Amino acid sequence: MIRFLAARVAQALATMLVAVVLVFFAVRLLPNNPVLSRFGQHAVPDRVEAEMAKRGWDRPAWEQLLNYLGDVFLRGDLGESFFRPGENVTTELLNKVPATIELTIAALVLAIPLGIVAGVIGAVWRGRFPDVFFTTSALLGVSIPVFFLGICLLRVFTNMPTGFRLPFGADFQPVTGFLVPETLLRGRTDLCVQALWHLCLPALALSTIPMAVIARITRSSMLEVLSADYVRTARAKGGGRWRVIWRHAFPNAAVPVVNIAGFQVGMLLTGAVLTETVFSWPGMGRYLVEAVKDADYAVVQGGALVIAAVFVSTNLILDGVYVWLDPRTSQMESTS
Amino acid sequence: MRTTLLCLALLAAPLMGCGGKSTPAGNTLIYGRGGDARTLDPVHAQVGESVKVVVNLYDTLVTYHDETLDLVPSLAEKWEMSEDGLTWTFHLRKGVKFHDGTPLNSEAVVFTFERLLEDDHPYVFHGTPPYRPDFQMIQKVEGVDAQTVKFHLKTPSAVLLKNLAMFSASIVSPTGVKKHGDQFGNHPVGTGPFQFKSWTRQAELVLVANDEHWRGRPPMDRVIFVPVEKSAVRVEQLKRGQIHIADNLPPAEVDTLAKVEGMGIQKQNGMNVGYLTMQLEKPPLNIPEVRWAIGHAIDKQRLVEVAYAGHAIPAVTMVPPTMWAHHEGLVDREHDIAKAKELLQSAAKDGGFELPLKLKLFVMGSPRPYMQSPQQTALFIKDSLGEIGIEADVVSYDIGEYFQRLSRGEHDLGLSGWTTDNADPDNMLYSLLDSDNISDDGGNNLSRYDNPQVHELLLGAQQESDEEKRKQMYLDAQEMIFTDAPTIPLVHTDVRIVHTTRLKGYKLHPSDLKRLRLAYFEDAPK
Repeated sequence: MIRFLAARVAQALATMLVAVVLVFFAVRLLPNNPVLSRFGQHAVPDRVEAEMAKRGWDRPAWEQLLNYLGDVFLRGDLGESFFRPGENVTTELLNKVPATIELTIAALVLAIPLGIVAGVIGAVWRGRFPDVFFTTSALLGVSIPVFFLGICLLRVFTNMPTGFRLPFGADFQPVTGFLVPETLLRGRTDLCVQALWHLCLPALALSTIPMAVIARITRSSMLEVLSADYVRTARAKGGGRWRVIWRHAFPNAAVPVVNIAGFQVGMLLTGAVLTETVFSWPGMGRYLVEAVKDADYAVVQGGALVIAAVFVSTNLILDGVYVWLDPRTSQMESTS
Repeated sequence: MRTTLLCLALLAAPLMGCGGKSTPAGNTLIYGRGGDARTLDPVHAQVGESVKVVVNLYDTLVTYHDETLDLVPSLAEKWEMSEDGLTWTFHLRKGVKFHDGTPLNSEAVVFTFERLLEDDHPYVFHGTPPYRPDFQMIQKVEGVDAQTVKFHLKTPSAVLLKNLAMFSASIVSPTGVKKHGDQFGNHPVGTGPFQFKSWTRQAELVLVANDEHWRGRPPMDRVIFVPVEKSAVRVEQLKRGQIHIADNLPPAEVDTLAKVEGMGIQKQNGMNVGYLTMQLEKPPLNIPEVRWAIGHAIDKQRLVEVAYAGHAIPAVTMVPPTMWAHHEGLVDREHDIAKAKELLQSAAKDGGFELPLKLKLFVMGSPRPYMQSPQQTALFIKDSLGEIGIEADVVSYDIGEYFQRLSRGEHDLGLSGWTTDNADPDNMLYSLLDSDNISDDGGNNLSRYDNPQVHELLLGAQQESDEEKRKQMYLDAQEMIFTDAPTIPLVHTDVRIVHTTRLKGYKLHPSDLKRLRLAYFEDAPK
């Protein structure tokens, strides 16, 4: 078990390193030169070179990479944004990542229970109205582009906030970036209510895809389990219908659901890019989109590092959950 | 479909009931815009979103009149120029204080310009100020006494005053810069009508009224700038009264808002030009007849209807009519397909190239103020050229790399444009068409147009202090450029801004600077 987890951790770290290196080169392969990009139509030809040299961008790529890795891993410094002078990427990500995580959690809070319930109901009443209803909704859920859905939601719910995390001019300077718990702890229940209120629509828009995916996986997995012998036996022994479904069938059907739900965490972080843009959410996605457009090296690299870290650590946690749900997993892994 | 509706209704039920007003009460102006500022340090500010905050935080030595482009005293009460035009003396207004209490004196002005001009200045932390070239004529700035400053120039300059009115020459508090160091862009200190309160990036940037402003306290208590990338969302917010003013909306959205009660629209003929560049180093575009033919092929009036919803005027020269020294006498090449074909065919015969001529037409991936529907414009030009025997292949690039490719001359034809920085024709003609500005690294003479006579005129005009003579030089240059046709000027677009009709006192300035000093709500509590 410990060997299994240790191997997983090592694998995770290696994955992150690879991701960082890949992004490091990818961002340098972009056809635009950030110095020219920043000066735009006002570029000063003779100064461009000096500017590149000042930042070490005229050095060979491997040398730049070593410097960057040194800064990141030895000093924990992700560098400074080139396009927003004076902006430290580490500090800025510490503000943005919590905004995205809060939104992701809110979306999952909607997506997981609703998805599971829809999937189970669909499986139980296979082919009947509830099944058709939820299957169609799920299909719609995965098909509607988030930005379109977002605009629709804004138009329909006219008394909901149109974006942002707090009302304009709330003048609340968060320390952690997690607004819901922080406003509560600092005794600003009014702002906590506002923060939750502002979360509703973006979380709803963000939750449709994972909700739909979870519903479909739950449904098919449940269908398989419901036709298994032991479920029939449990029924035959006189177990109540819902007791059999939730106590006997669902735990076994849950393994692929956990798998997919974990995967969705990563997907949500990327899905948040669109949602954040529509709802002007000051999170990591919107921050990164702008940086990629500008080829703002330090920001793109820092953001990629964080996303890789989130992906890898959710996968690690999930590996732990599998082992707990199905102890055979770790033995299979260690013997293979 | 029924299921969808049912599903939506189910989702909607818990949310519909509860209401919540999120508009702050009182005397707060909320300004919705398409992006966030990047820095509030005037020497580094560059994108429009930074500039519109900077102009409210700082003052300059001279500035534009509230409603016109005339230069009027600001932090400098008066000034005089020496006989030889090489020394300018500015007398500073007395009793002005920065937001941090530092008095405005010659030391602050000298410090400001040293930051702008000196290499490796100890208080410039983020590379070369992008607008430094506009101040290259300055040799040295020295304080004579506490309230007097002398500017020594390398050559006489006709644009010095105009450039001193630019946001990049905003006077900064030396104490503020020294205190905040490389974070000055996040903690700006000026003398302007509003002072900085807080900035949460990508959320809100809050300014509050400067009670001590030398022109009197502005009526608004607070101004909050909010970045909302999706214009559809900004429209929705305007309708609901969550924001009070919004800029850079697509023409069609502005037209829709014009019909909404309580919405006011202001319009100005923009000081800009959208144009088609032709890469003169690529044959057969080096033949004038080919370029004339292209000029005759494009129906600019129709283009205005198709791509600008009528909110632009056809351009004849690169200098917009709102700018002095615009050449009114130039008559454009009429839209005439037969004539265009004839010109092109005879050029093909003499120049030895085959028809149809295949050319690459570059188009930017996202709209610019002077080119609001780049794709439609490109397709319109492609169709027009198709009629005369030129097959244009439309190639699109993301804005970040787009102008770099044009600077390197990778295009045959390309869409571009320019909005003036200082309302001076030098900024349109020298920047865009002088041989000094041909360069692979960000040169703005995208057509690579090199006419020694034009070059001489443009350099001469930079140093000519007699306005009449200077104007004549620009008129002559425009005539030569029109004949050579290195670019086809397409349109000058209107600048429009939408705001609630409750907002009074704010007037869209011809320079397009968003100065909010006089804005107030008609129903504001006194």
